Amino acid sequence: MIAVSNITKFYGNGGSRNQVLKGISLQIADGDFTVILGTSGSGKSTFLNVMSGLERPDSGSVAYGASDITKLSDGELTQFRKDNIGFIFQQYYLLPNMTVEKNVRMGADLADNREYREIITAVGLEDKQKKYPSELSGGEQQRVSVARALAKKPKVLFLDEPTGALDEQTSRQVLDYICKLHKEYRFTVVMVTHNQNIAEMANTVVKMNSGKISEIFTNEKQKAAYEIGW
Amino acid sequence: MMIGIKDAVKLIGISVIACCAVFVCTLFLSYNIDVAALKDEIATEVGMMMYQAQVSTGKVVAAVSGGCLAATSAVMLLFYIKNYIDTHGKELGILKALGYSNFKIAKHFWIFGSSVFVGCALGYMAAFLYLPSFYELQNAEHLFPEIKVQFHPILAFLLVVVPAIGFAVLAIIYACLRLKTPALDLMKEKHEHKAKLSKNETKDIPFLKELTRSTVRGRKSLVFFIAFSAFCFSAMVQMSMSMKDLSSETMAIMILTIGLILAFVTLFLSLSSVVKGNTKTIAMMRVFGYKHNDCSKAVLGGYRPFSYIGFAIGTIYQYALLKIMVTIVFADVENVPEYNFDFTACAITLGLFILTYEIAMYAYSQRIKKLPIKSVMLE
Repeated sequence: MIAVSNITKFYGNGGSRNQVLKGISLQIADGDFTVILGTSGSGKSTFLNVMSGLERPDSGSVAYGASDITKLSDGELTQFRKDNIGFIFQQYYLLPNMTVEKNVRMGADLADNREYREIITAVGLEDKQKKYPSELSGGEQQRVSVARALAKKPKVLFLDEPTGALDEQTSRQVLDYICKLHKEYRFTVVMVTHNQNIAEMANTVVKMNSGKISEIFTNEKQKAAYEIGW
Repeated sequence: MMIGIKDAVKLIGISVIACCAVFVCTLFLSYNIDVAALKDEIATEVGMMMYQAQVSTGKVVAAVSGGCLAATSAVMLLFYIKNYIDTHGKELGILKALGYSNFKIAKHFWIFGSSVFVGCALGYMAAFLYLPSFYELQNAEHLFPEIKVQFHPILAFLLVVVPAIGFAVLAIIYACLRLKTPALDLMKEKHEHKAKLSKNETKDIPFLKELTRSTVRGRKSLVFFIAFSAFCFSAMVQMSMSMKDLSSETMAIMILTIGLILAFVTLFLSLSSVVKGNTKTIAMMRVFGYKHNDCSKAVLGGYRPFSYIGFAIGTIYQYALLKIMVTIVFADVENVPEYNFDFTACAITLGLFILTYEIAMYAYSQRIKKLPIKSVMLE
């Protein structure tokens, strides 16, 4: 269980000080698929960064079970991310000088995962293992970043606009892979998006507006990636 | 155009190397020209032998030091231009897509040659200011009639103007060649890879080990600079220790100062470039949970063997150069002490080198520790 309590976050100093998160509280159950929905500037990416331990809040707590990660030192936070968290970003952030296999191994080695090739196969890239990122399409690159994140066997997977740079067809394909792997491995998914249709794939939808949660609701039936509108 | 003085300022390393090269060349070539003017006044046989030896020394030192440093400056300039085009691929690609020709874009790269001009001019001025003291020391030995400092416009032209123009032209030609890459590839920041995978890539190598290898493979020019830095440190420090006996203390201090400046400037610029070029990789590793030590070792550790290779080559180089000077150049001169390899000097220099190199590595590993993850991810 992830328990976020009364989180605040400010950017800037003096007169230009801007409150991005205004006392957010939220609970996410283990294995849940949560989508954080909001427009640009609503604070959803900052919220994701704080929840995942990439950024520290100015006040409030983020607890994973009994452990409050806001109180961890930088070294402990790194260890926490190593043991628990996987990330997928809009810009992929693959290592350009390494092949697909080596990029995935970046995640796999952290979890001593020797079966990482199975995940490469699971995202449909078994024949591209020796290719470099620049030799792949955008969709394929994002699938590499999915495989890299999952190869470290995370307990929670954070996704920041994972389909933001992809076309509709490729986006559906990537989301489909994520859903299938979520069902298989049962990790918790927290995805940030501005696309309302993607929210139909989640158990829980958290709507954000101007640094606050404006609405939380549960989908009675989760839709598959190829069933949602676009 | 996007290339400005600010970009040229980043080439301070080239300025320092050019400065050292021109300083040494001006000093010895001016001395040679001024001594040559007195050739007819040298009456004794010993004086004539000394004259021949001094002229030969001047030529060897100017050619070897000037040549090596000029070549290093050229490699460094090409490295900077390649790096500039790689990091500004998007802007350059857009210019090409808009219809600017390769030459029209490349001609603005002349500004990179200005770093050579600044370095050469400073080196020439420093040498000219130092010449009176240098001549005073030579005159004190009463080997030749009194040598006077004279201004040689040809030297100023050859050592300041010609290199500046030459390097500016080199920058334009090289930029023109690099800009032949199609506009789309420039915009995509496409990385070049060898079509054939190396044997290592087919083996089951752990990620951190592979990262170390790919970091080194990805920037081979930095391997050269780091090895060159160790080479300068090793050769110049050991040479300065031996020079004390073979030549004079002033000469030893001069060599030591130039060697240390070259070594430190090259090392720090190279390490800065390594860290800067791998910022995103380091940030991503930290996001995934790699420890700070693992990141530092993987990114910086691969260069260590090359620095020791550079040190070894520097040791051999200085021994060979001094041996040649003593046995060939000063062959006919009396009272030149015998020169043998100085194991004590080598051991002291190695100790100092290890200490200096590891302190630099530690400083840069602290810099890696302070890299802000979030700002990198939001770029």
